[in-house]
Amino acid sequence: MFILIILIVSLVKKVDAYSAFLKGVKEGFLLFNDVFGSMLSMMFAINLLRISGILDLVAQIFSKGFLKIEPSLWAMMLFRPFSGTASMAVMIDIFKYLGVDSFSGIMASIIQGSTDTTLYVITLYFGCIGVKKIKNSMAIGLISDFVGITVAILLTFLFFS
Amino acid sequence: MTLFWCSMILSSLVFGMMTGKSELLSNAIVSVGSETLEFVLPLIAVTCFFNGIVEIAFQNGCIAWLERRMNPLLRFLLPDIKEDTETLGYVASNIVINMFGLGSAATPAGLKAIKGMQKHNPNPKTATRSMVTFLVLNTGGVTLFPTSILALRVAYGSSMPANFIPYAVIATLSASVAGLIVDRWWNHH
Repeated sequence: MFILIILIVSLVKKVDAYSAFLKGVKEGFLLFNDVFGSMLSMMFAINLLRISGILDLVAQIFSKGFLKIEPSLWAMMLFRPFSGTASMAVMIDIFKYLGVDSFSGIMASIIQGSTDTTLYVITLYFGCIGVKKIKNSMAIGLISDFVGITVAILLTFLFFS
Repeated sequence: MTLFWCSMILSSLVFGMMTGKSELLSNAIVSVGSETLEFVLPLIAVTCFFNGIVEIAFQNGCIAWLERRMNPLLRFLLPDIKEDTETLGYVASNIVINMFGLGSAATPAGLKAIKGMQKHNPNPKTATRSMVTFLVLNTGGVTLFPTSILALRVAYGSSMPANFIPYAVIATLSASVAGLIVDRWWNHH
């Protein structure tokens, strides 16, 4: 739908859509360098955590204490504010072993989409301009993550169970 | 992050060996490389595709149009830089590109935006009001079209890959609104 609008606008405005597209694709591919390394390191760690049984152990404690959901979903929520790649790796793990259309698979997708990586954004942006006193931005970022994830869980329970 | 990563691996190895799973662990170590490549490739392919589309939207002025629509809202949210239209423009591009779920493509504009805010900062070591608000918006991550999750769901054979999007949008909007409310209440009360 929005691809259609974009193409029509470029025809009307006589913008070279084809070479713009190629340029964008080329830039997108450069991401491979950054993404593959961090993904591989996270997948490695998470695979080991899952196989060794630690993930289950930790998650069982959480499931007993709080909310009864799939152990890896707990891991995903704990990772989400700190590393988007880590939570994405857990999400893929869930897709693979529990099914992409399962209740857990859908909850994982919604959680992953509910917020951005607070810690990464704050370190990167404030690091770039050399601000040391970040006031309460970290706390507010984490509160907003918490709200996003909570809403994600509620919605999944409401509409998919 | 290093400490976190190493302790995850070390504790798994020790715990796994204690519970007699060393063979499973070494299998995982051998296969993790190709496994990762398997899902990174479709992800990159889709990201490239949407990056291309966004680049067209950039060159034909669609993004600029969206940015202008956001201007009044940004002036209200970031009152201390409302005279600086250039910086406001970067803030707007950052948010618009984030909406397409292309976080890493949005970063350059975001960095220019925060550098622009730093120019107005009387005390360069301390964050200003608009920096905090901008980062809250950013960490809330208003994503209206989560490209990478959609790509992964397709890659793992979902029969309804897009059905999570409305709920994710509600969740991400609540996260951002909650962040903005807390920010207003805490910092400007």
